[in-house]
This record gives sequence, C-alpha cells and structure tokens, in this order.
Amino acid sequence: MAKPAPRIGSRRNGRIGLRKSARRIPKGVIHVQASFNNTIVTVTDVRGRVISWSSAGTCGFKGTRRGTPFAAQTAAGNAIRTVVDQGMQRAEVMIKGPGLGRDAALRAIRRSGVILSFIRDVTPMPHNGCRPLKKGVCKNKQNIEMISEK
Amino acid sequence: MATSLSLSQFLSSLLPSKQPIPPPPPPSSLHFPNKPPSGWVSLVSTTLDPTTPSCSSFINPIVCPALAYSNTLYFKSCYNVQVIVGENEPEDKLVGRFRREVLRAGVIQECKRRRYFENTHDKKKRKARDAARRNRKWRPLPKVQAKREAPKKKNGDKDDNWDDYEVDLPYCKH
Repeated sequence: MAKPAPRIGSRRNGRIGLRKSARRIPKGVIHVQASFNNTIVTVTDVRGRVISWSSAGTCGFKGTRRGTPFAAQTAAGNAIRTVVDQGMQRAEVMIKGPGLGRDAALRAIRRSGVILSFIRDVTPMPHNGCRPLKKGVCKNKQNIEMISEK
Repeated sequence: MATSLSLSQFLSSLLPSKQPIPPPPPPSSLHFPNKPPSGWVSLVSTTLDPTTPSCSSFINPIVCPALAYSNTLYFKSCYNVQVIVGENEPEDKLVGRFRREVLRAGVIQECKRRRYFENTHDKKKRKARDAARRNRKWRPLPKVQAKREAPKKKNGDKDDNWDDYEVDLPYCKH
C-alpha cells in the first residue's frame, strides 16, 4: 500500500515522522521494563511518543546474561546517551516488571546526569483477571526439547 | 464497589462532561492537560493507593475519602508506588528509598505469585503461612501471658476443701 505524499501544514497534531533529528525535548519519560530474562529501556516524550530505546539484547548480551543487572545498566546508559545529546534535562522514570534490572537501571539513569522528578512503579496488576500458566510449564518444555533432540 | 460508584458520581458532577464513566469510555470527553486514562482504569486506580500523593493536587482524605488518592487519575499510568526525588539526593539513598517503598507495597511478591496458577490448596497454604508470619510478628505476647496464668491457678487449689471427712454413707463399708 503506497503512502500518500505528505502535505505540508495539513496535519499539525499528527506524526512528525521524518523530522526526527529536529526534535528537542527538555522533558521526557524513561520506561524501564524489567522482566526476568531481559530489560528494555525506552525513552519517550511526555505524551508517550518514543524517542529512542535500547535493551540488553541489543547491547550484545545473549541468553541468560540479558537478565543480569549489569546488562540493564548498559542498556539504560545506551538509551540515555542518545537522548542527552538531544538536550533532555528532566525525566520521569516508570519501572515495570519484577526483574533484577530494576535497581541497576535506576542507578545508571541517576548517574547519567538527567534530573529526575518522579520514580514510579507501574507494574500491571490484574484484579484476578486472566488465568496464568500452570506451574512448571517452562521446565517441562525444556525437558521435552532435550528428549526430542536425543 | 461502593467507593467506585461514589467516585463516578462525584466525577460526573465535577467535570463538564455529561457522560458517566462506563467501560470503555471515549476519553476525549474529559478535559485534562494530559491524555486521561480509560474510565475503568481510572476508577480502579484508586484501590492501588500510592504511598505518597503527588503535590500537584491534594484532596483531604477527611473531606472526601474516595478521592483522597485520586492523583493517580491525572496520570496516564496508574502507579503502585511513587517516589518523589529530592534535590541532590544521593544515589544510594534514592535507590534504597525506592526499594523500601516497593517492598512495603509488595509488588515483586505479588508478581511472583501471579506468574503461575495457584490452586486452592496452594492458596490456603500460602494464606496460612502469611497469617502465621503476621501473628508471630505482632502478637508474641499471648503465649507468655498464658504461661504466667497457669502457675497462679495451681496456688488456688489450697483454698479448696480436699480434706477427708468421715461420713456414714449407705451401702459403704468402713
């Protein structure tokens, strides 16, 4: 599906898209999603539009090493470096998930020199919603894979 | 449930929008500087009470208890824990404060619990364990008091009449 040619001045509220490098955002939000296996750090503006992101996987870590606090630290450092150059001074931090990368990412953010206004934990909590997986599912899967390989 | 109903009534009277807040509502009808969350999330967010309310809008909990923690409504994300960073706060102190707040809220424990399904038997065991831990923490006294009361009762036996009296009982040989 071909995109229609963008008309200048017609969509003010819409996507800026191609003019990414011109954006200078003094205040932003840093989202840290820390799961057991990985940590993803996303920097957005106040409205939620993503500016840059980085994760432990993209920083070169593989497998179980992605879940470590050191990997989270490097991911956070990586994500913020690009944004500090664009001129971001103040930020809020939103931390999601139960992983080990929570504190390490927070430390890295603090050390990077960005002024923090709030730190919030936004881990999603169901009010007894969807039924989770049964116990030991992941372990059983691994065992089955090992047996089938043999 | 009652608090959520009163909250929706209060909000509908407060705000110019005529629509009540059903799930899922059109958010454009509400006028906020930031984009507001969908209605059912905002109603529910009052139950996830933050430990420290933000300083921007503070409603006295005595005046309107249902809206006391409604600061979360003004943010897109309803948060479990909020830590307001002071000026020149040392890194370790900040991280320590955040960790303590999260521990108090029990976020990580809750996450781990909800990761896999817990059948009724496991749930009962967990609840019993938590109750035992809570009772051990806050009520270690009752056992000590019981020990003190038991020896006192033994001294009271002296007042009872246990002496032998010779009484002529029918059908008894003496």
